[in-house]
Amino acid sequence: MRRFFLLLALACATSQWLAGASLRVPDHVPAGQELSIPTGGSGEATLYLFGPSHVAKRRVKLGSPVVLAGDELVNAGRYVVVLNGESSTFFVTAGPVSTLAFIARPSRVPAATRDVVSGTVFLFDRNQNLVLSPQPVSFSLSVTGAPDVQRTETSKGGIAWTRLDSSRRAGAAQFIASAGAASVRRVVQEVASEPCNIRMHAERAKGGAIELQTDPIRDCAGNPVPDGTIVTFTSVDQSGRSTVDARIKRGIAQAELPESRQATISVAAGVVIGNEIRWGGGQ
Amino acid sequence: MRTRIHVRHLLFVLLAALIAAATPVLAAETGFAVNLDTSQAQPRHVEETTMTSVQRDYGHAWQTMAAAMEENNTGLLGSDFVGLAKEQLLQVISEQGKSGLKRRYIDHGHQVRVVFYSPDGSAMELHDTVRLEIQLLDGNKIVYSDQGTFHFLALMTPAENSWKVRLLESVSGF
Repeated sequence: MRRFFLLLALACATSQWLAGASLRVPDHVPAGQELSIPTGGSGEATLYLFGPSHVAKRRVKLGSPVVLAGDELVNAGRYVVVLNGESSTFFVTAGPVSTLAFIARPSRVPAATRDVVSGTVFLFDRNQNLVLSPQPVSFSLSVTGAPDVQRTETSKGGIAWTRLDSSRRAGAAQFIASAGAASVRRVVQEVASEPCNIRMHAERAKGGAIELQTDPIRDCAGNPVPDGTIVTFTSVDQSGRSTVDARIKRGIAQAELPESRQATISVAAGVVIGNEIRWGGGQ
Repeated sequence: MRTRIHVRHLLFVLLAALIAAATPVLAAETGFAVNLDTSQAQPRHVEETTMTSVQRDYGHAWQTMAAAMEENNTGLLGSDFVGLAKEQLLQVISEQGKSGLKRRYIDHGHQVRVVFYSPDGSAMELHDTVRLEIQLLDGNKIVYSDQGTFHFLALMTPAENSWKVRLLESVSGF
């Protein structure tokens, strides 16, 4: 019986040897960390190392540990080490978060709008390996004079993303993403949304023409609509329709329409229509 | 006469059978077949044209990488890889060439899941479960061979008319 077990053990050992025994290495090694692999026997053998961005082939002494230097193991991924007919595989994993790649979109958004700003962060360690372990990433969007919009997300597969509302106040918003010791800032220009309402008044000019001027034009959050926004004044009278496009300048829009005895004048910007004036009809 | 016709028929049937049998084998052996699943992509839905491009370009990237690694010829990499992925491949192929080593991938197909597609459509993360045979060679001698299922994580970004692999990393699992 004892002989049977001895033979069985011997057979097991032989089959393991024939299948190619394994070198003793850990399953996972942090990027950039030196790795020492114990070896048995005596004499010399060829060591092979195959990694994602590095390969090595060198003669090593058996019987003493083989050292893989930290700079041979900087890139994350699967490594194969082969020595004297034995082989093993291990994975190099990313270290702590060191840098962030931050994509903020779009660069210009209307104020006081829901889920309009998106931020995507890719987390890298100091060797540019994607940090795959979940990490808390905080996002904040702030404009002077308005409360910060903040959110924390947990990264998945090296990526964290969020969608945020724009602030009620227009201005250059600081969009910051932070993870660990790394932080990246982007600027998102928050501009006034569509005008909330447009109010104009009319006066007779010296030559008889109709001089039109709006009150300061603001969005519903009270932000002045940016200069350059087109405002359209339309006059309809017996001779037909005349239209003038004017740009907002210093918050207001002005235009001059041809002389008319009786006309209906309206004002609009984008999809927003303002008040209507009946010229010559008692208005 | 009749015997000659029979022989001709037999040869024809044999040839047809050989072609029929060889076709799927060839398709499987040339590999790089990518089965792309976009059902779990978020936060953005993957449009059908994007899906077709990614499937085509990711498969092509693997094909060029395998050829470049086996031939130790960086010129074969083409433009499928950019950024870090390209830098790593250029470095490893150069080192392989200097050491007289090679890497051979025998690809048996990829099951790829899109797990992330950025809100602005500028980046995509793929989880690839691939059936692969990897041979590591010193000259023409195989020093290591492994066959099985491997996991790769890829980051792809769009260019003018194709998707490029920006990062390709072998991971222990998903």
